[in-house]
Amino acid sequence: MSLPRRLPEVLVPALLVLATAFLGLAVSSYLEGYFVVTLVKVAIVVGLYVFVGNSGVLSFGQISFVAVGAWTAGVLTVPRAEKPIAFPGLAHFLVTTNVGNVASLALAAAIGGVFALAVGLPLMRLSGLAAGIATFAVLEITNNVLGYDGAIGPALNGFSSVPSTTGIWQATIGALICIAVAYAYQRTRFGRMLRATREDPAAAAAAGISIHRQRLIAFTLAGALAGFAGGLYVHLQPLAANDLYLDLTFITLAMLVVGGSGSLLGAVVGALAINGIYTFFTAAVNKVDVFGWHLQVRAGTADIVLGVLMLLVLIFRPNGITGGREFSLPRRRRPVADLEKTRATT
Amino acid sequence: MTALLVENLSVRYGAVEAVRGLSLEVRPGQIVGLIGPNGAGKSSTLHAIMGSAPITGGDVRLDGASILGRSPEDVARRGIALVPEGRRIFGELTVEENLRLGLAGRRAGRNGDGLARANELFPILREFRSRQAGVLSGGQQQQLAIGRALAADPEILLLDEPSLGLAPKIVDVVFEALTKIRDAGLAVLLVEQRAQRTVALADESHVLANGELRLTLGPKDAADTDRLVAAYLA
Amino acid sequence: MILGLLSLQPLTWPTVATALALGGVYALMAVGIGLVFGVLRLVNFAYGQLIMAGGYALAYGALWNFATWESILLCFGVVLVLSILMDRLVFRPLRTSSPTVMLVATFAVAFLLQNIALLKFGSLSKSVGPLAQLNAPWDIFGVQIKEIAVLAVGTAVGCLAILQLLLTRTPLGLHMRAAAMDFRTARLLGVRANRVIGAAVIISGLLAATSAVFLSVQENSISSSFGLQDTIIVLAGVVVGGMNRPIPATLGGFSIGFATGILGGVLPADKTQYLTSFIFAAVIVVLLVRPNGLFTRGGGAVERV
Repeated sequence: MSLPRRLPEVLVPALLVLATAFLGLAVSSYLEGYFVVTLVKVAIVVGLYVFVGNSGVLSFGQISFVAVGAWTAGVLTVPRAEKPIAFPGLAHFLVTTNVGNVASLALAAAIGGVFALAVGLPLMRLSGLAAGIATFAVLEITNNVLGYDGAIGPALNGFSSVPSTTGIWQATIGALICIAVAYAYQRTRFGRMLRATREDPAAAAAAGISIHRQRLIAFTLAGALAGFAGGLYVHLQPLAANDLYLDLTFITLAMLVVGGSGSLLGAVVGALAINGIYTFFTAAVNKVDVFGWHLQVRAGTADIVLGVLMLLVLIFRPNGITGGREFSLPRRRRPVADLEKTRATT
Repeated sequence: MTALLVENLSVRYGAVEAVRGLSLEVRPGQIVGLIGPNGAGKSSTLHAIMGSAPITGGDVRLDGASILGRSPEDVARRGIALVPEGRRIFGELTVEENLRLGLAGRRAGRNGDGLARANELFPILREFRSRQAGVLSGGQQQQLAIGRALAADPEILLLDEPSLGLAPKIVDVVFEALTKIRDAGLAVLLVEQRAQRTVALADESHVLANGELRLTLGPKDAADTDRLVAAYLA
Repeated sequence: MILGLLSLQPLTWPTVATALALGGVYALMAVGIGLVFGVLRLVNFAYGQLIMAGGYALAYGALWNFATWESILLCFGVVLVLSILMDRLVFRPLRTSSPTVMLVATFAVAFLLQNIALLKFGSLSKSVGPLAQLNAPWDIFGVQIKEIAVLAVGTAVGCLAILQLLLTRTPLGLHMRAAAMDFRTARLLGVRANRVIGAAVIISGLLAATSAVFLSVQENSISSSFGLQDTIIVLAGVVVGGMNRPIPATLGGFSIGFATGILGGVLPADKTQYLTSFIFAAVIVVLLVRPNGLFTRGGGAVERV
């Protein structure tokens, strides 16, 4: 596969991200915040895609890696002087250790990856419903522990004095890094082997591909990306354990499914589209002007719109907006299969 | 008087056309055989009749009325019973429960003696009444599958390769039962791979290859191996 | 944390009773979830929302000064209607989709219903009024056991017995069992798909309503997240117990409820907030050791997603 032909696969998502960034710069600083959040969500969903999209296995645990990354980056960048107040029970070595912004992101990625590796080693052997429940259990445990353990973080209080270093540029670069890594991975032998297991596990196993190992690699990488995104997120807005729990799990999953879980483009498109709609309806609580037409909705409408939209997509277009396909030049189309298996007959 | 009429039937799965323009009829008190190589479309024909295969053309008529587009359970309740390929016994249910399940296909308002007939034809069913169906041997399961179909007191009996995996002795038992069923007045459509035995048993046998009807044979052709082979390879 | 485990609190009869009650209610929920899974091959994440709706019905019944039996009737009515709507609007169109799509779809329904409730009823919680009196303790052989615990266990046993009779002694029950084993063949034999599915949905709804009554008495505060955590735990229990067979699934639901109740009572005071972690850690361990289910006979079909 010659490099230039496949380049649109990564360039188009990257361009979409840049377009979002420029749009964010163009609007008022009040609205710019929404764009930054969107870009961070892109980073999270791309991480989710690296595992779920390539393996075809559903994981509910991705957000726990985001949480772990957020905790890491947050605890290590809150100003030293404020730590005793912000985190009363914090372990001593965490109180005394502080790192810079970029270092905290790198560490967040590292810890996220290590945690994912530790979790994935036993869990990647499972499939189907068992995998789903097991990853759900990881989410539950992480949420429980991070929410109550004061020795490793703010516990119930959540973060509040983390320096807000994630502006539009940091978020953009972060999203682009995630996209680049995801693209690089799926172009490697590992990525292709994993996709083979998604298409036809039996054939892949017969061909000598270790399903367990390939899934573990993707899972770990996804964990690292998630941790990184978590670091970005915690430097953007105050986060508590419950902000990185079921709702976010659902929303990021919705973004991936609506966009098209089989492709990187799908992940990015889904994140941008869904967060765009979500943000619109959230902002509409305070009345918005759409080309001279006033709209005001009750708080919480955004979630309902999201839920309904997700259901409609699942019923009428389960492959998502992109149909699970990457962007490719019109000459020769290479459809990439998706999360959904062949439909059952009557 | 025709019980089952298949007219110009076409069945297509996605891009693959499994059956092309097939026409046949089965009358009460008649066994019609449907033979042919693997993938010829025999099973698809039966499933199309039952309403569980995508029909793209033609018609299926029961006692003159079209049953096209009806759901499988609807077709079953109109008096057509299928003995599926591989028997598809409910292994975790008892033999008796399997038989009673067959009652689901009874036609409305008919309290026939399907169960009694099934037990009569296959005495082992009564003997193994409370055993789990899964412990039965292949041949016994086949008898159960047929008995289950008969429990619905059907007008038409469809069988999908009943002799598959059975020892010749058991095939004898099964084929003999089919004769009795035919004599009781049912219309029987028998799909089989064992060409010779089927041709010998049935009142007429159709050879299906590549989804098309190639040849129709009578019992006297059973000994004519050349003709059979030629039909298969046509 | 491990050392903390050594300072467990003593096991008492009220704890056991509560654990039995919770196990009983979870067993009912497990059957409700397992029935729908068996017949429709659908894992209903939104089951908790049925319970939430039931809870709100009870709360509003109390608010409108209904008699207790009227509140319960309202609860059943609301839950049944919602159950049927869920089936018609969401499950039916998705019947031919892959298990993953269905899982995500029910997840979406759960999310949707929870937020609709949040929108309509606000985030304040409501109480179930007079029903809460059932939380009062009875004196049994000198031990204080909550009235509700006894009722829950009794009802659970009763419901399960009735259900068992239905499944084994009636034609409908036979059809449902067959449909759960091999839907396609069952239809070919004349089993009416819609009737069997409808029955599963209705029974599942009735069980949800029953669970709602008991859970709401126990918690006495209904909010939009009512029933969600319980459903997740029961789902985990069902998968751990053995998703594909009704009895292991029920046992799984009971076990996880019972374990939760016992752990809740014996964990040292400063560790009780980690109850969730203990339970889910146990879930993971069991899934790793026996992925086909704790109570199955092993060697079940590998499920593919």
